[in-house]
Amino acid sequence: MRLSKFGFIFMALSGVVLFLPILVVSASALNGGRSMLFPPQDPTLARFGEFFISEPIWRNALKNSVIISLSSAALSVLFAWPAAYFIWKRSTALSRVIAGLMAMPFAVPPIVFGVGLGFMWAFSGGLGTIWAGILSLGALFAALPLVTISIGLQSIDDAHLDAAATMGATEATAFRTIVLPQTIPYTISGFFFAMVLSFNEFIVMFFVSSSAYSTVTLQIFNSLRNGFTPTMAVAAITFIVVSLVVFSLVARFGDLPRLMGADQSRR
Amino acid sequence: MSVSTAEGMAPDGVKETEGREPALAFKIALVILLGILCLVPFLFVLAISVGHKIEGAGWAFGFELTHYKRFLLGATWPETFQILYLQKLGYSLMFAAIGAVIAVALAFPFTYFLTRLTRRGQTVWLVLLLSSLSLSEVFIVMGWDILLSARSGLPALLDWVGFTDLMKDWGWFQWFRDIGLASPRAFKFKTSGLATVLCMSYLVWPYAVILLYPALSRLEPSLMEAARTMGARPSVVMRTVVLPSVKLPLFGSTLLLFVFLLGTYVTVTVFADPSQHTLAVSIYDSVRGSTLNAPFGAAQSVILLITAAVFLFAGQKLSNAGDRA
Repeated sequence: MRLSKFGFIFMALSGVVLFLPILVVSASALNGGRSMLFPPQDPTLARFGEFFISEPIWRNALKNSVIISLSSAALSVLFAWPAAYFIWKRSTALSRVIAGLMAMPFAVPPIVFGVGLGFMWAFSGGLGTIWAGILSLGALFAALPLVTISIGLQSIDDAHLDAAATMGATEATAFRTIVLPQTIPYTISGFFFAMVLSFNEFIVMFFVSSSAYSTVTLQIFNSLRNGFTPTMAVAAITFIVVSLVVFSLVARFGDLPRLMGADQSRR
Repeated sequence: MSVSTAEGMAPDGVKETEGREPALAFKIALVILLGILCLVPFLFVLAISVGHKIEGAGWAFGFELTHYKRFLLGATWPETFQILYLQKLGYSLMFAAIGAVIAVALAFPFTYFLTRLTRRGQTVWLVLLLSSLSLSEVFIVMGWDILLSARSGLPALLDWVGFTDLMKDWGWFQWFRDIGLASPRAFKFKTSGLATVLCMSYLVWPYAVILLYPALSRLEPSLMEAARTMGARPSVVMRTVVLPSVKLPLFGSTLLLFVFLLGTYVTVTVFADPSQHTLAVSIYDSVRGSTLNAPFGAAQSVILLITAAVFLFAGQKLSNAGDRA
């Protein structure tokens, strides 16, 4: 079906508004001075050097962001895989409890989860440690790989499993030869979703880090009272580029419309 | 397929009993781990909200309702009655409701058109939407901060195109000043409720599209084509075919985004006037910020949580009722 003229204009305008703030921030990174002006004044690329190389504050923050997002995404997948598999195998009360627990942090305003985690880690002595941050984000975003892996498991043809069982394959063999290969793209997508979101996470990290270390988003918020600077705009560019690359990869190697719940019968 | 391994030869009964025990133990371990990470934090909030405040930032377990009393009636009740915190809750509800409704209202036509595109077109848009959706609130606030700033944003643009002078000539400028969107000389959007709501709806707009996408992509095109062939105008098709079938997803997404926006923090601190600061800001001040009263912060969190739960529950009831009707 072709789009009407109105549809085309509406989509184009939405796209413009969607990318306007991002575009303005990206352009501001070129400012020669310390203030965020648009259009940028005496353009320079020096801010990129500051962000990635010369300023240890930003370098450390970026390092923490990368470590925390990669580890917490891996953890999310580790939580999500057995949960998704149990739910798919047999829907018991226990597997529903698991799914319910993983959905909890997603169903409430994030600030409340952050406050609670802050209390819990303060009580157990983990507050301000990197591993507490990793565990927190791992729990927060476990629901994402749970969803993608479940979609992957549902796409497995029962006939394949029946055939394997008839030929005498154990559950372990069928898992290794049928289930695992067919769900790997969905697992990777789930990992990427969790990774990008924990890379950008702010409010939960804010309560569990307790100012002991900072990630890029925390560092930006901490510097807020002095106003935004072009170096922070470089961070914004970095983050949006990472997201674009990651989601393009997901789209390239997986079926993004399907992951987002599109109807399969239409092309 | 290589299935002729030793374990493949084992009789069925042996395999079953061997497999079940460790699986159950594993499941229970997973429940405990997830319980600690996903449920215990909320229990801490609940426990500390009735705990005792220790001067200097600490708290101790206990049972007192002073913090809830302070929220609902004011610290000095019954001598005086304060609605300061109820007011903050009111601002939370107001901003979140307006933000969510605007986001869904603008996302609905967009998603409808999106699902009419080719598979390839949809994929490209989804990549852009997901990238925007995952972008941290701090960056989004940064972008709108520049766009609304007096020196290089919208006020400067309005000045440049002559809109400011036009409004002054027509005598309408005073009206903008009265509603807090202008300083004596020019337009001013920071701080204002408009900027807060604008940034909030921008924040959740991509979420709204993603939430509406499954329902709209499952709409049967033949149904709409049939209506069109029978001579129904596009607006009639929209009203009689499309809207009724996506009524529930529209309602559900608005509710979810409303709950999500209840906790918005960065947007409110940057764009809202301090007199209109929401409960989220007050929670931060109590837990980590200037006022340092962890039990009171916890009590405020519990109230925000209850508010969210009430709306989700009422929404569930309403949509069930709508389903049956």
